[in-house]
Amino acid sequence: MKGDAPRKTLLTGMDAGLFLCHECHYVVKAGDEAENLKCPRCHSAIHPRIPNSLAHSWAFVITSLVLLFPANMLPIMAVEYMGSSECSTIMDGIIYFFKEGSYGIGTVILVASVLVPVFKIVGIIMILVSIHFRIESWLRHKTLMFRFIEFIGRWSMLDIFVIALLTALVNFGFLSTIVAAPAAPFFCGVVVSTMLAAEFLDTRLIWDAAR
Amino acid sequence: MDGQGQDSTGNKKVTLNPRDVFLCPDCDLVIPKVAIEPGEKLCCCRCGCVLDAPVENGAEKTMALSLTGLLLFVPAIFLPLLTLDILGLESTGSIYASVKSLLVSGFVFTGFAVLLTSIVIPFLKLMLLCVISAQVCMHRGSRITVAMFRLYNRLDEWGMLEVYMIGILVTIVKLFHMASITYDTGFFCFIGLLAATLLSSSMLDENYYWNVIHEACQKSTQSQTAAETLVPVPSDVVEERT
Ligand SMILES: [Zn+2]
Ligand SMILES: [Zn+2]
Repeated sequence: MKGDAPRKTLLTGMDAGLFLCHECHYVVKAGDEAENLKCPRCHSAIHPRIPNSLAHSWAFVITSLVLLFPANMLPIMAVEYMGSSECSTIMDGIIYFFKEGSYGIGTVILVASVLVPVFKIVGIIMILVSIHFRIESWLRHKTLMFRFIEFIGRWSMLDIFVIALLTALVNFGFLSTIVAAPAAPFFCGVVVSTMLAAEFLDTRLIWDAAR
Repeated sequence: MDGQGQDSTGNKKVTLNPRDVFLCPDCDLVIPKVAIEPGEKLCCCRCGCVLDAPVENGAEKTMALSLTGLLLFVPAIFLPLLTLDILGLESTGSIYASVKSLLVSGFVFTGFAVLLTSIVIPFLKLMLLCVISAQVCMHRGSRITVAMFRLYNRLDEWGMLEVYMIGILVTIVKLFHMASITYDTGFFCFIGLLAATLLSSSMLDENYYWNVIHEACQKSTQSQTAAETLVPVPSDVVEERT
């Protein structure tokens, strides 16, 4: 909360005429030819803010929202046991663990494959909306939430890795086999597109509202 | 190289040298460069972003750890992780086998996603980090080093070995009731690989690496232009580069 109050006295790079290279964090002076400024250290193009950040971020977050439905509704894994095949969705797998009494592992999968993707999508949409309406409050909290979203992004791949390993391990021919089911690529798509949405989102836009 | 501030109120002129400050990548705040000791962290006072975290002998440590990771890589990926035993029937699985079984059963996109995040990118990351650290240790650098370090930073979050580790643990718990599980060589190599990967990226001091590479690049271009043209480099050009 410390940062929210004395914002008039704080100097931003924009005010000082300094730009940051997004690749290597080199600070350069804003010149006249600001359009095609190149980083002297890593030779990448320098922009005051990531170009088209919001458009890209919206595109990926909407993609992930669309993919979220098939990912959760279609079966993600099929267990064949003695000739009979049984498909299960992500929720089925979680319910199975809770019924078995292994609450710890059930919670881990529930958090990683259901709560994390939903939280990521909702969180990014909240930040995008707040940037559009230039909301000046909760700046620090929004940045912290974004950093958390960035950190947890990769953990949703957990279920995919488990299925990949199960298909390799449980391969006993007629007795029992496990194969992936149609939801797996959709689920991968959700993870990848939320990670890309977070990568394109420029957090400095949150703070620009306070200038 | 002074930045003349165009203050919005107009009554305060700010003169800043870009080399004396950090800009917070998350909130664009100007933060004066302060010398800090290895092990300490310089954080943004407004949003808490870590701006500088020097590591003592970081390049040597990173190189040693990434080399360790590279040595463990092949056994960790290709050797079986676990052996399942159901009623006398045995089955083993490695990380490579998990990718293969996905691809064989027709899940091309999923298979490639697992292949990239658990094999290709972790390997590239270790490889790049090893080569870059070796060059930083010798205070050398070229445009290729710059390109490699940019690639490393891009790939950083797409290597997911630690997620795979939790995936292995979840799999063990899933199969615990149905089969007896024995841990194989690959499992222990994988733990080693994971530790080496995590430690090597935590020992990485990005600002120091970029500075060393930049200095080395400048030296090589300066000596090159001097040798090619046999004309002393004009002083304003030199200043523009620094
Ligand atoms: Zn740069
Ligand atoms: Zn900051």
